Amino acid sequence: MPGSDFVVEMQGIDKAFPGVQALSKVDFFLRHGEIHAIVGENGAGKSTLIKVLTGVERQDAGVIRLDGEEIAPRSPLHAQRLGISTVYQEINLCPNLTVAENILIGREPRRLGTVHWKAMNAQAKQMLVRLNIDIDVTQPLGSYSTAIQQMAAIARALEISSAKVLILDEPTSSLDAVETEQLFGVMRKLKSEGVAIVFITHFIDQVYRISDRITVLRNGSLVGTFETATIPRLELIAKMIGRILTELDEMSQIKLESSEQIHEEALLEAKGLGLTGGIEPMDLELHAGEVLGFAGLLGSGRTEVAHLLFGIEKPDSGMVTMDDRPVKRFSPLASICRGVALCPEDRKEAGVVDDLTVRENIILALQARRGWFRNLRTQQQYEIAEQYVKLLNIQTPSVDQPVRNLSGGNQQKVILARWLATNPRVLILDEPTRGIDVGAKAEIQKLVLSLAEEGKSCVFISSELEEVLRTSHRIVVLRDRKKVTEMSGEVDEHSIMESMAGGEA
Amino acid sequence: MRKIGSLLSRNQRFIPLAATALLAIIAYGVGAILYPGMRDLQVFLNIFRNNVYLLISAIGMTFVILTGGIDLSVSGVMALTAVASAALLREGWNGWAVILLMLAMGMALGATMGGFIAYLRVQPFIATLAGMWFARGMCFFISDDAIAIDARMWRILGQTRILIPGLADPHTQTGKFVSIFMVVSFLLLVVAIFLAHLTRFGRTVYAIGGNEGRNEQSARLMGLPVNKTKVLVYTLNGFCSALAGIALSVFVLSGHGLYANGTELEVIASVVMGGTALSGGVGYVFGTLFGVLILGITQTLIQFNGSLSSWWTRIVIGALTLMFIGVQSLLAARRRRRGGVKVTDAAARAATRKRRQVYGGIAVALVLAGLAIALIAKPPQGGLGGNAATPKSSACQLRLFRQELAAEAMQAGAVITYERNGGPDCIDEVYAIFPDGRITGDDGESKIEKQATAEEVELLLAGIDGLGWFTDEMYNTWHTPCGQCYGYYLTVSYRGTEKTVQGVDGGTDAPADYWQVVSLVKGLVPRFTATP
Amino acid sequence: MKQPRFALTRRKLVESKLFFPLVVLALILLFDLLFVRGFFSIQTRDGNLYGSLIDIVRNGSTVALLAIGMTLVIATGGVDLSVGAVMAIAASVAAVLMNPYVLARELPPNLMSLINDPTFTFQPLWIVIGVTLLVAIICGLWNGLLVAYVRIQPMVATLILMIAGRGIAQLITNGVRIQIFYERYSFIGQGWVVLPFSLYLVILVYALAWLLNRKTSIGLFIESVGINSRASFFSGIGEKRVKVLAYTFCGLCAGIAGLVASSNIMTSDAFNIGMTLELDAILAVVIGGTLMSGGRFSLLASIVGAWVIQAITQSMYAFGVPAFALQAIKGVVVILVILLYSEQVRGLLRRVSVQKEA
Repeated sequence: MPGSDFVVEMQGIDKAFPGVQALSKVDFFLRHGEIHAIVGENGAGKSTLIKVLTGVERQDAGVIRLDGEEIAPRSPLHAQRLGISTVYQEINLCPNLTVAENILIGREPRRLGTVHWKAMNAQAKQMLVRLNIDIDVTQPLGSYSTAIQQMAAIARALEISSAKVLILDEPTSSLDAVETEQLFGVMRKLKSEGVAIVFITHFIDQVYRISDRITVLRNGSLVGTFETATIPRLELIAKMIGRILTELDEMSQIKLESSEQIHEEALLEAKGLGLTGGIEPMDLELHAGEVLGFAGLLGSGRTEVAHLLFGIEKPDSGMVTMDDRPVKRFSPLASICRGVALCPEDRKEAGVVDDLTVRENIILALQARRGWFRNLRTQQQYEIAEQYVKLLNIQTPSVDQPVRNLSGGNQQKVILARWLATNPRVLILDEPTRGIDVGAKAEIQKLVLSLAEEGKSCVFISSELEEVLRTSHRIVVLRDRKKVTEMSGEVDEHSIMESMAGGEA
Repeated sequence: MRKIGSLLSRNQRFIPLAATALLAIIAYGVGAILYPGMRDLQVFLNIFRNNVYLLISAIGMTFVILTGGIDLSVSGVMALTAVASAALLREGWNGWAVILLMLAMGMALGATMGGFIAYLRVQPFIATLAGMWFARGMCFFISDDAIAIDARMWRILGQTRILIPGLADPHTQTGKFVSIFMVVSFLLLVVAIFLAHLTRFGRTVYAIGGNEGRNEQSARLMGLPVNKTKVLVYTLNGFCSALAGIALSVFVLSGHGLYANGTELEVIASVVMGGTALSGGVGYVFGTLFGVLILGITQTLIQFNGSLSSWWTRIVIGALTLMFIGVQSLLAARRRRRGGVKVTDAAARAATRKRRQVYGGIAVALVLAGLAIALIAKPPQGGLGGNAATPKSSACQLRLFRQELAAEAMQAGAVITYERNGGPDCIDEVYAIFPDGRITGDDGESKIEKQATAEEVELLLAGIDGLGWFTDEMYNTWHTPCGQCYGYYLTVSYRGTEKTVQGVDGGTDAPADYWQVVSLVKGLVPRFTATP
Repeated sequence: MKQPRFALTRRKLVESKLFFPLVVLALILLFDLLFVRGFFSIQTRDGNLYGSLIDIVRNGSTVALLAIGMTLVIATGGVDLSVGAVMAIAASVAAVLMNPYVLARELPPNLMSLINDPTFTFQPLWIVIGVTLLVAIICGLWNGLLVAYVRIQPMVATLILMIAGRGIAQLITNGVRIQIFYERYSFIGQGWVVLPFSLYLVILVYALAWLLNRKTSIGLFIESVGINSRASFFSGIGEKRVKVLAYTFCGLCAGIAGLVASSNIMTSDAFNIGMTLELDAILAVVIGGTLMSGGRFSLLASIVGAWVIQAITQSMYAFGVPAFALQAIKGVVVILVILLYSEQVRGLLRRVSVQKEA
């Protein structure tokens, strides 16, 4: 087909994993020499889409075309050779080799079969100059900041594929303002040379600064592709997180009733809580009987606050008091003993112990609190496990199944059960409904409210604003690792989104 | 001051190497001050001469460890090479053919293990462990005892002294010299450095290791031939192990399956001390040279001191390894914290503090190490430079059993012959006890004699019989002993029956009463030296 | 569909860690049954049982003891290379406490004459054993601290004690291979009460370890730390303390093994005792099904693994294979077993057994 308008065309892409439909009839069109942003919250399907495009996964249905010709990338290397290169957030390079080597290894200039260092260094330097970077390429890559390392990764990507398409996956997560501007300068330069750039990010500000078009994904489906210049910020956010249900429903009823139960005095108070590189100092109050929701986009500091409250990290500024007594020991065990529990965001890394059974996973934290010698009798363990399996409706043939055999959603429920079993006074839930089907989501939201009714203090963190609004009595809005505002009572969803988005609407 | 600081921080990767080199120089310097004997250049050269097999093996091991792997089979392959060469030479094979065949065999073994590791995903630890057992086991398939090497080529290789021009007098054939294999090992070193820094293969090796295993994945994503390189690395190490085995057999002019026991640990320690991290990715082949040097210097210092026993070597090496690894861990932890986190002002200040801590720590460690060396190198009670004479070679040559002497003695009427072979000084002592109370001893260099009474001999015989010497409960056992252990042959003739039982130090297989008999006999025979 | 809780389904049997090592052991014994005459014969003498089978258990008891401790260490995701050296240190300590030959210069002359006396011991037996085990525990503690708190890689951290340990053992005995005359001590390794005494020691240590692991939550925590250390941290498990405990227990096991080994030869041989046994122990644990990356473990399977190794050795001896060939064959067998345990084969078996269920 003669000179297609688009350099990349993806049509009708479907991709399913066991238990979840990651992509469903997604279309994606990329023009030559444009910077195209892909946005969406967790689980939207961004990374799956890119994995399909770069050959890490194969689509179940749908067609991919490069410059009009159909392609089926078999692996990232194959995709590279076709002209599609990716630079990941983890910068898959070797920090112990020099910058020049990282850029050129595997294709180094050689003289009589041996590596020609001088030529390699000169070539690498030139490639970086093309990106407006001037550094000593003979130093190990690891001695440079992430920003520079990224430049090296970009240089390599361009070099190998004489790239038509450059995919940048969350490139600015570890960069400060100056470095981000540097990166943008490089992106603009490449754009002027005709390279098409796919920019995946959760920083809406940056999307507006650099991109030409935006594709929004939500829950595996395409919401739409828009011109950056014409879509207002607020509308973009709305599309990303879905429509807000405004009808009064059973949930709101529960909420109204339960708000009588909220205690006056704060159960847990944090003043000036902050961590360098994590969040800016902020004040927080948790009350028994209340559900406190955190609203904010990915990267706004939600998880960092949760970690600080639970003691995963020690804050380097501010103070935390519980029951009016200052908190001295910051560690998970100390928090559990105090009655604070955290159901973490990263289920795979920080939650599931996959070879242990459902029963063992559920009683794990409870047993940790009891210590080495006060063993829960096996009978007791079974009773507790079965109790929570029933309560949370966990789908498993028996509690002796290794957790790795359960679906993602059920694994999430097991982790939730673990923390409920410790009977905490403060329960922090970071993305508790991720990967869970809609029906179960509502169940969990109701559960959270009922826990508050029992007198617990709950913190509810979620990317889905709808959920947060339904479940919380009070909402704290975070943006760019700062607390922006607090809202309670009848919350106006527009103002929340405004606070989350920041900048001009 | 800040200039030095920035110079250091820019060339940070050379710090472990510099530390090792510095330590080696300090250690030798201290030794030279305390022992005039050490000021002789030949003593310094002999450190390399005695440890040439270690250096060759360590060069190959450096590549393996750089990829983040490990190879425990090196000592087995060394022993196998020595035994096989000895056997083939005894059959009259051409020396060059033997060398080529041995190198090929080493490479084949290495390639096999490499294949298991790279393609079948067996852990390097286990695969090379099995390789070691297999190689050592094969030694004993070839021969139970040591095989002497008589071949002219081997003798030339081992004993030729290449006089250093300018430091020697060709007319009297005296002066400073190096051995042929020293030259070979240095050539190998040069080739290895070339491979590591000037070939794609070498750079891929560096790319695979390090970063706690994440590099391997990155290397694959970068399109590098990870599996092929891994196999090549183990093949290269097999080549080096075989070459080291040849070097060893040339040095001791024999081959035995018991050789090089525990050497893999020394090799690994040398590589680690030379600055190569066990997780791979960082380190220099040149550093391994210094690692081997430190090992050699430690042994030399202990020998010259004379009052410290040889096992101190192991303790010191253990402590040094700990120190180096501690420094490595510190540096690695710093690197980890650097990557990925935004560096704000407070963090930058903390980083500088950390950096100063690390350098301070390294300085302290170096000083401590220097003190330790000085302590070990303290002169013995007999005044300075007690053992100024040439020290015994550190890798002593295991001598062959001389059972023919024992047989002669039995024929001449002895009732008990007792041979003890091995130990830290590689002795071989043969004693004969006659019914009239006469006891003779021969240790290969001198003879000794003692007159006991006939009754004592009779009592001894009765005691040995009482311990069940002539029953089925007393049987031969043999297993791989350590380089410092003794092997025993004991022949007893009593009431018309003669029985020989052999055994080796330590292990659960020898009959317990065997050691009671040995101690009884030992109690009667005279001693050559003061060693128990 | 809910299955009765304790149903012993065929799947459970196949998947249990005990299955494989028992099968391998059975195969070896089958081989013996067919090809070696008299292998299974058991004689009785003075009320005690003797025979090749008994020998397997007796000679394999040192490795079995080491394997119990090593299992816990490997389950946390680490490894302990120093157990052989710790055995040597233990043997040296015990020997010095019984036979002060080393200190001979300071002892009064009449004490010297007692030294060849089988009832003489410098310190009572309970002090000998107590101090020895204490020293072994300290060695294990050292390893644990290096791994858990200083965060050195386990292989490297224990390598240090492995190298230096034998030197320390020699230091304690001043290089002398001390002869132990005390009769009672020989009972540890050579005694018999119907069955060899060392077997009872293995059972005792196994029972202790079992109590520790299944009657307290330590076993659960060890497995959790080995499978997912970060998730364990989030759940409030003190992974550092768990690791230190595992290495300390391993040191204790090595100490007991050292007592058995030195009691067998009635000397303290600082160089040979336990030489290369750490590798046998690791192999026993691997045969017993515990992954070297850590996680689920089975002590009983590791002990069977130790017996498998010993059975191979014993069968070879009985079959008339000369001692020298033994090591080579061992190497080949190791590779076969490891391949058998590799992911590919295991996955295949899992699929086969699942199909059978369906």
